[in-house]
Amino acid sequence: MRPRLLALVLGLCAAQALGEVYQAPEAFVAEVFGTLPAPRVLWLSRKMQAQASAILNHPPAALRQRYWSDGAKSVWILEEIGKEELITAGFVVSQGHIDHVRVLAYRESRGQEVRDPSFLKQFSGAGLDQSDHLDRGIDGISGATLSVHAMERMARLALYFDRWSRD
Amino acid sequence: MPFRLRLVRTLRRWHARIGFAALVFFMLIAVTGVALNHGAALGLDSRQVHSKWLARWYGVRHDQPRQAYRTASHLLVAANGRWLLDGSAVGEKMPYPLGLVEIGDMIVVGGESSLHVYRADGALVDRLDSSALPRVPLKAIGAGEGELVVQTAVGPFTSADVLSWRAGAPKVVSWSTPTPLPEADREAYAQRLAPGISLQRMLLDLHSGRFLGRLGPLFFDLVALFLTILALSGAWMFLAPRLRR
Repeated sequence: MRPRLLALVLGLCAAQALGEVYQAPEAFVAEVFGTLPAPRVLWLSRKMQAQASAILNHPPAALRQRYWSDGAKSVWILEEIGKEELITAGFVVSQGHIDHVRVLAYRESRGQEVRDPSFLKQFSGAGLDQSDHLDRGIDGISGATLSVHAMERMARLALYFDRWSRD
Repeated sequence: MPFRLRLVRTLRRWHARIGFAALVFFMLIAVTGVALNHGAALGLDSRQVHSKWLARWYGVRHDQPRQAYRTASHLLVAANGRWLLDGSAVGEKMPYPLGLVEIGDMIVVGGESSLHVYRADGALVDRLDSSALPRVPLKAIGAGEGELVVQTAVGPFTSADVLSWRAGAPKVVSWSTPTPLPEADREAYAQRLAPGISLQRMLLDLHSGRFLGRLGPLFFDLVALFLTILALSGAWMFLAPRLRR
């Protein structure tokens, strides 16, 4: 009985330390393509870094962005801070528009509502306008404003990166 | 002198005394309050204040680095979840490093379940977490024939681009191992690797008085009482003559 209790406590502690991970990125990619294709890389030029900074309101975390593509669809796993912790989300982009979005890991203590399909559905079909903003409004969620903004920024970045990956 | 006049004079005197005595605290509450109100826009959450003194004040454990990882032209020192790569701080909440490897123009720092790839100028190129690694935990990292090699429980894996992996390793691998830091350098590195306290947390504690410890909030309750007295005495001095008229 005691080892089980200990395992449960350790498990809970590990889950707390890792945050809420709902799906591993590779599982999300495999689900989209049916298999796990080799990752591709988009190197961020100075111009791209500047525009990514404008979208994120801070410089991009890294100079190369991994993504997966079969030619028709591309998958972007992005991370952005909501309030204090990173949100990991997977964006599937097709023909310059978001096909669907999923929150893969949410580590904040509040604002998990951004995982709700009813919220994420708003991103489906969204593209970028001339100024690299989403071409539609995304309804906010009270109590999760910063997480909603983080999701919007990541959606814009995924579409922006997708455009460059196809050039 | 009529009682009313004496009362007004006493009130004025104490109004001025209390206002002056509590000036610093009122300013502190006002400034920190405004900053906290705009915390998200100012990015207070993501800003850290690094100071050994502050870490001690908050009771945060503060370790001194004892070893470093070196390549021919790069040096990594780590402590308190922070890394100094060639003397520059890179990131917060970093894992404890397993090794430092130079592959072409890339510098790779390995942790148990992640790899951080940097350019020679210290810019982060990529961060590979467990989902982008062939196996975790990593046990060691090294270089062989110009490629990166990671050692795992099921054997070594090799990558030329730190992106795609193949099982196995070149015949000769130079594994990264730590070297002791000279005693004289440790304190200097410890200063630069002091743990960080979130600026938001610090401002919140200054605003509430918790920064001063257990008695801090009680002291700030007293300041709040002073503010109430100031508001009431000010209101009385303003309204009383007008009501009398």
